[in-house]
Amino acid sequence: MPESNDHFTPYPDHVLENVLENVLAFLHSRRDRNAVSLVCRSWYRAEAYTRSDVFIGNCYALSPRRVTDRFTRVRSVTIKGKPRFADFSLLPVNWGAHFTPWVSGMANAYRTLEKIHLKRMSVTDDDLAAVANSFPRFKELVLVCCDGFGTAGIAAVVSRCRGLRVLELIEDEVSDDYVDWISCFPADGPTNLESLMFDCVESPINFESLENLVARSPLLKKLGLNRFVTIGQLHRLMTRAPQLTHLGTGSFSPPEQPEQHEHHENDNNRVSDYVSAFASCKSVVCLSGFREIAPEYLPAIIPVCANLSSLNLSFANINAEQLKPVIRHCHKLRVFWALDSIGDEGLQAVAETCKDLRELRVFPIDATENGEGLVSEMGLLAISIGCRKLQSILYFCQQMTNAAVVAMSKNCPDLVVFRLCIIGRFSPDHVTGEPMDEGFGAIVKNCKKLTRLAVSGLLTDRAFSYIGQYGKLVRTLSVAFAGDSDIGLKYVLEGCTNLQKLEIRDSPFGDSGLWSGLPRFYNMRFVWMSSCRVTREGCLDVARQLPRLVVEVFRRDEEEGGEKSDFVNTLYMYRSLDGPRADAPRFVNIL
Amino acid sequence: MTSSKTIVLRSSDGATFEVDEAVALHSLMIKHRIETGGADSTTIDVPEVTGNTLSKVIEYCKKHVEAPNSDDLKSFDTDFVKVDQAVLCHLAKASYYMNIKGLLDLSSKTIADMFKGKTVEQIRETFHIKNDFTPEEEEELRKENSWNLFV
Repeated sequence: MPESNDHFTPYPDHVLENVLENVLAFLHSRRDRNAVSLVCRSWYRAEAYTRSDVFIGNCYALSPRRVTDRFTRVRSVTIKGKPRFADFSLLPVNWGAHFTPWVSGMANAYRTLEKIHLKRMSVTDDDLAAVANSFPRFKELVLVCCDGFGTAGIAAVVSRCRGLRVLELIEDEVSDDYVDWISCFPADGPTNLESLMFDCVESPINFESLENLVARSPLLKKLGLNRFVTIGQLHRLMTRAPQLTHLGTGSFSPPEQPEQHEHHENDNNRVSDYVSAFASCKSVVCLSGFREIAPEYLPAIIPVCANLSSLNLSFANINAEQLKPVIRHCHKLRVFWALDSIGDEGLQAVAETCKDLRELRVFPIDATENGEGLVSEMGLLAISIGCRKLQSILYFCQQMTNAAVVAMSKNCPDLVVFRLCIIGRFSPDHVTGEPMDEGFGAIVKNCKKLTRLAVSGLLTDRAFSYIGQYGKLVRTLSVAFAGDSDIGLKYVLEGCTNLQKLEIRDSPFGDSGLWSGLPRFYNMRFVWMSSCRVTREGCLDVARQLPRLVVEVFRRDEEEGGEKSDFVNTLYMYRSLDGPRADAPRFVNIL
Repeated sequence: MTSSKTIVLRSSDGATFEVDEAVALHSLMIKHRIETGGADSTTIDVPEVTGNTLSKVIEYCKKHVEAPNSDDLKSFDTDFVKVDQAVLCHLAKASYYMNIKGLLDLSSKTIADMFKGKTVEQIRETFHIKNDFTPEEEEELRKENSWNLFV
């Protein structure tokens, strides 16, 4: 209800006056709030004053100052940094995306900040200490694919942020500072923890402290353990926290050195112990972990399978025979991640049971070109027949056929994300020998909701003409080792009118293809081209034509100076409101 | 014991409405006036609100005070805000001024729902708001929004 009205200025429009701020409390989507902010000046001010969640898609597209000047009462900040190809070591380590200027900018401006969510940022221990010291109401820290910090930084956060509810470390690189961070939570009384996920932390954990912590965290719903937690320890934790809904199971194997009284015959007893542990965790809907799985223990999860909506076995090297007894209970499964060790047969089993599947990811055990192909077009076809509601797929394989991809395009019309990674470079349809053009063409043509596409295999310009012609909703396109000529890139840049993120590697696209995107680059979040055929001159031309585009050119091996070949090694360009960044390392040229 | 005392509320355009005191107290502004007003505060002026709007506000308060636990309260609320945009805005402002949280939130949420999915131009048109940005300012802000703060 009306609080002190010091901040109000008289509104030129009398339609909503002081009520607008109350109205805006019910408006959450960024898109809608952005529209409201442009209506008139007083509405801009009211919206800026009331926006509590700020999302920054590219940390270099604007300065922290611009954000803190505009939005003054922010509770939650999400910032994304490096482009995705950083995950594949295509970005030099010291490239940037530093969190430091953001945390120092926010420390002064946002005393009531509660939540920080970062993806692909470089975060230091000092940054984490600054978070711990600057925000007395801090509640949630989520770091995804970040690096630059260690267990010392985590310790700073958990010891000082007494209201901490969520700490999620997901696929981060965390250095081991030999700090026992799990023991640094305030020792007295119950915690407010709702989610604690540290699956990716590659250092041993003090189990006694962890168990104690879990036991006094009555609100804990999500727990993600790292591989240093054995299955026996997992069992103990589960009995402490039967209310868990999301569980990352840690190693899911016994310790390497058996305890004194353990015999091999007791394994069956052990499995049944673990079965009863899972049986008493009636609320579990999301399972992951299995980081060093001893496959004979997998059946222990059967009691929760019927309720599972998400199962992540992407670290579990198990075969179809080991998967089947478990997957056949997972009728409600919506999300399934696995290694290709399960083979086409395992995928067939998934297709037979998981009729509600929405998202499938199949990762390769062996990502080298001549690896053994464990899944193929047969698995893809089986999934397309059994899982008609599929919306998102990421599929790594050594071989594929157009027919299977076409079948999926027809059987799964709800596909929003289609990412097919045929590992062998320039691989044609292995049955017909033809390029994979028709398969991907069918996907863009038949899947009318498609917004994200990754292509691979032998592709000619025709594939890209299909993408440009039909991929009108595509926002993210990922191309690797594909294409014939610049025309392909031209088709995409001219045709895909909603394209936001374009990442291309090792493809024969050059300057003229690049220039065809000039009218579009300000409307895109970024363009990445590495090991293609763009020249420095070509990039300079783009930079001259589009002054607010930051055009970065660098070598992956961080060498400065002249290029060794005629072509630029890596081009990464993005729009920026506040000019080029000041923290570019020496090997990065900003044109 | 329900008080049988009545209060008269007078709108900006002179219309008067006699309501049970219990109903009037649903407005914290009126409650405050009564409590600080002295013995003969039986007529209360509500100059920020016109007669038409005040009549509707009273209807809301009556329902919420006299039948707060009724099953059809939710559908009453839903139907109550099925009015045109101008009436809705007047209701929102009146409930703000008269400090009636339930009605403020109900009308605010309904207005917020009217923003959803609309473009800037559509919002301006629906609510008859004049654009007072210069073209340069507007262009710069569009960039600021879509270059950074968009999906």
